[in-house]
Amino acid sequence: MSGAIIELKGLTKQFKMKTAVHKASFKINKGDIFGLIGQNGAGKSTLLKMIGGLLYPTSGDIHFFNEASDKNQLYFERMGLLIESPGLYPAYTAYQNLNLMMIAYGIKNSNEEINKLLQLVGLENEKKLKVKEFSMGMKQRLGIAIALLGSPDVLILDEPINGLDPHGIKEVRELILELNKNGLTIIISSHILEELSKVATQYAIIHEGKIMETISKDELLLKCEERIELEIDDAKEVTPVLEETLNIKHYKVNDQNTIYIYDSQVENHQIVKHLSAKGIAIHSISKHKQGLEQYFLERTGREAAYSDQFI
Amino acid sequence: MINLFKMDFHRFVRNKTMYLLLLIYSAFQIFGVFMMSLYEEPMAETGTLISKMNASEFIQSVLSQTPSWMLLYIMVFTIYFYISELNSGYYKNYITMKHARIHSVVSKIIMQAFFTLLMLATLIISDFIGRYLFLDNSSIGDLGFFLKLLSSQFLLQWAFSVLILCVAMITKKMLVSLIVGFVFALNIFGMILSSLESVLFDKAYVSDYLLVNTIMRIKDFNDLNELIVVLGIGLVSLIIFITIATTYKLKEDLK
Ligand SMILES: Nc1ncnc2c1ncn2[C@@H]1O[C@H](COP(=O)(O)OP(=O)(O)O)[C@@H](O)[C@H]1O
Ligand SMILES: [Mg+2]
Repeated sequence: MSGAIIELKGLTKQFKMKTAVHKASFKINKGDIFGLIGQNGAGKSTLLKMIGGLLYPTSGDIHFFNEASDKNQLYFERMGLLIESPGLYPAYTAYQNLNLMMIAYGIKNSNEEINKLLQLVGLENEKKLKVKEFSMGMKQRLGIAIALLGSPDVLILDEPINGLDPHGIKEVRELILELNKNGLTIIISSHILEELSKVATQYAIIHEGKIMETISKDELLLKCEERIELEIDDAKEVTPVLEETLNIKHYKVNDQNTIYIYDSQVENHQIVKHLSAKGIAIHSISKHKQGLEQYFLERTGREAAYSDQFI
Repeated sequence: MINLFKMDFHRFVRNKTMYLLLLIYSAFQIFGVFMMSLYEEPMAETGTLISKMNASEFIQSVLSQTPSWMLLYIMVFTIYFYISELNSGYYKNYITMKHARIHSVVSKIIMQAFFTLLMLATLIISDFIGRYLFLDNSSIGDLGFFLKLLSSQFLLQWAFSVLILCVAMITKKMLVSLIVGFVFALNIFGMILSSLESVLFDKAYVSDYLLVNTIMRIKDFNDLNELIVVLGIGLVSLIIFITIATTYKLKEDLK
């Protein structure tokens, strides 16, 4: 099994007046596409900057391969960063910007590799154009190309679809999936869960600097799937009716009093009709559908609702 | 280390601003000699006629003039080279490499040494051309003296460039560091301290050992004591500023 590649333990960053990240703890496994989701100002960039070695934590540790980062600086070498804005020289062309990093990595015969990377991010026709003439989306894609240089093990992308048009978003998404297929661990942040959900295998929800929840893709989908929630006295009485009379295969007995039905064909009134016919009392029946975005808003609204009580 | 150095060197040799600075400096230098040849007056301190000076004497007199153009050019280059990388955010691409922070600072300091050397070479060549053309004088004088002058000036000016690097690193802003850099290059602190000391004590205690004061003072390199003091000031300043620059970078929170 693939183990943890990065582990955060109580990671905190305090700016003068503001705690941007507060005691963040979670693990990132090798091969994950780890989605960090949070509203603007939640602390996503600050957290990623600490993982990337740009910012020093006020307290807490980052462990790489189960070794504290300060003991194992070597690890950082195999990490590609695109945090906030891509770091590019405006007076240099796309090609020159990449070439400069090739020199920094000491890679010889870099021409072929540069062209490959430019092609990968769809800039092969703009390689002679100076970066100052680039659109936001083009800069973003060149930033990804630079982050990929030197074959990193971990890629950190902070809001990589910012400034991209729908076509560009789709391209970046496909690129992320493709890179992940080859074993690259990717940490990606966004404030749009809908978009993250198309790539991420693991999520952490961050709100006002705190990690509210970490959840896997499967768990999240289960929570957000459309279902009918049925409240009854005894689930054991009900399941034979569901299976035999209504022909429902896809359901889950949550506890003795609640059943979740995931079959989208069946209507509420049919269930009521058949159960009533058998003399089974229904305490409540409701259709339950929670969008991803709603799920996210609920997690990040919790803190606000909580503090409201004390005002 | 070698690779980050190569990266900075690549940027250094491709930097058109740098060549422009050298070219302008050279042009002004030659023009300056031309103007001196028109209105020749004996130097206030030594009473020597400019046209009778050898290369060492001439360069000492050029470097002692206020404002020190050499320091201003070195200051502008240092700030430009550092802040342009900082503003572009390019450091984010290599920061995860082993010892990247310390290597990037050391590499900047080496680039500044190159630029200081180029400035000194430009000064020597331009003055030589100017003096040959307009003063009809191409004497170098005592070669040993000349080399002692150049090497100690190199050390002092390089140390000054590291001081400016510290200013750029700490202020992080082009304009602010240029303003602070001007204050240092125009030796405003040095002049204030010198005049304070001469008014209060009639004697220089500290001000004679200040870096920029030492750069601008006319020195007698035949005096071994003076040579040792000058080299000592250069070396100590260099070590202090390099320590500040690297320590600061190691602790710095980057954007
Ligand atoms: N260098 C800094 N100094 C002071 N406050 C900062 C700094 N960087 C970020 N912050 C604050 O920390 C919080 C989190 O910022 P950030 O990590 O950029 O959020 P996100 O990337 O999720 O939008 C914000 O309130 C921001 O204003
Ligand atoms: Mg951000």
